[in-house]
Amino acid sequence: MVNTERTGSVPGRNTPNPPPRAAQPRSRSRSEVPRRLIDQTFNRNDLYALRSAVGAHVTQVADERTAEDVVLIVHELCSNAVRHGGGSGRLQVWVAGGALHCEISDSGPGFAQPGLVGQALPAPSLPGGRGLWIARKMSDLRIVSDDSGTTVTATIALR
Amino acid sequence: MVATTPVDRLAPGDHACLTYSDTEERLDILAAFITAARARGDRTVCFSEKADELRAALLDRGVDEGFAVTPVDQLWGARKAPDAETMVELLARELRAAIRDGHRGLSITADMCWASRPQANAEQLLVFESAVGGLFEGGRFTAICEYDRESFDPVTLGYAARVHPRTVAATVYHEDAVLRICRQHVPPGVRVAGELDYTRAQALTDALAEAVRLDRDIHLNLNQLAFIDAGAAAVILRTAAGLPDQRRMVVVCGEPIERTLTIAGAAEVPALRMLVRHGEH
Repeated sequence: MVNTERTGSVPGRNTPNPPPRAAQPRSRSRSEVPRRLIDQTFNRNDLYALRSAVGAHVTQVADERTAEDVVLIVHELCSNAVRHGGGSGRLQVWVAGGALHCEISDSGPGFAQPGLVGQALPAPSLPGGRGLWIARKMSDLRIVSDDSGTTVTATIALR
Repeated sequence: MVATTPVDRLAPGDHACLTYSDTEERLDILAAFITAARARGDRTVCFSEKADELRAALLDRGVDEGFAVTPVDQLWGARKAPDAETMVELLARELRAAIRDGHRGLSITADMCWASRPQANAEQLLVFESAVGGLFEGGRFTAICEYDRESFDPVTLGYAARVHPRTVAATVYHEDAVLRICRQHVPPGVRVAGELDYTRAQALTDALAEAVRLDRDIHLNLNQLAFIDAGAAAVILRTAAGLPDQRRMVVVCGEPIERTLTIAGAAEVPALRMLVRHGEH
């Protein structure tokens, strides 16, 4: 589905669940204190529960339609981590600066060209490749791949 | 557990019990039953608590006009409370009238929820279900008695299943805690309820493959589907895109599912039509 070419991961730097990068939300130059909604690890058996948790939390801060979109975006990104990112990952969801931020990190081989994946809709006859396309259409998507894994951040404006 | 019969395997003279919790499943089975009964020349009457609603729902599913829907309290005529003997007499009279009018027989569906009401003696239900048995001899009278699982206790449901020679149920392709995929009879196709993602997409692939084999146009009922992901949406698009010319797939769904199918590329597939139900649930 996506380009899973290894980008030269260094053994030892691949921690399955990287420690919380506490600076990530807090380093934002906003006076507003980020409101953390979810921070949990997941594997292939957790996707259903994860959708349920995301839906429950996000409806607290967004309308129903936005929450449905976020559930789909998070599911697609987490299932990518499960399928192509080493089988597990970590999901963090927080609100800051009038937007909802969903960060999915995994320790799998990343994308050789993260800027190019999911930019085109595959032909209807093809079985896969729509997950990142959908996430890009529905959110502001940032993908960072390096030796230690891949981190995808989806930002959705709150109305 | 009693073995169940798909509705298209019911025969004239069958006395079948339908216990349901999914209203989509109930309506599909009734629609298939009525369509088959009318095709063999039976007069068909549905006795229902919500007669107007049921008529509209059946017509909406494409059942042809010409079936009767009657408030269920007409079964006990002038009496104030449900009375088993009165009901059986009325049905016997209706059967004779149907045959006199040139019909092959009489097929009825009866919503049994009257028996769960406080004023109705639950024992009348027991009397009714055994006394009505005689009408089925000769194969001119066919009936589905509907039991809503929400309205009845397990003991009564167990009794209902035992007293009916047949239990009618949907043909299930896949069932687990989060997903149920069934055959839909009217209009013919597949019905999916719950949540569907790539981990279970193969079950949908298999169900749709059978529909492609059996049906001309494929009706995919996603009204009770709460979530679909890109992987499962791809199965739908791919199946529709692979249909031969002149054949279509018609998807009925709520707005969230429609949004996902659209963003996954539904517009690129000319054979795919979506009918969106607004403001349900």
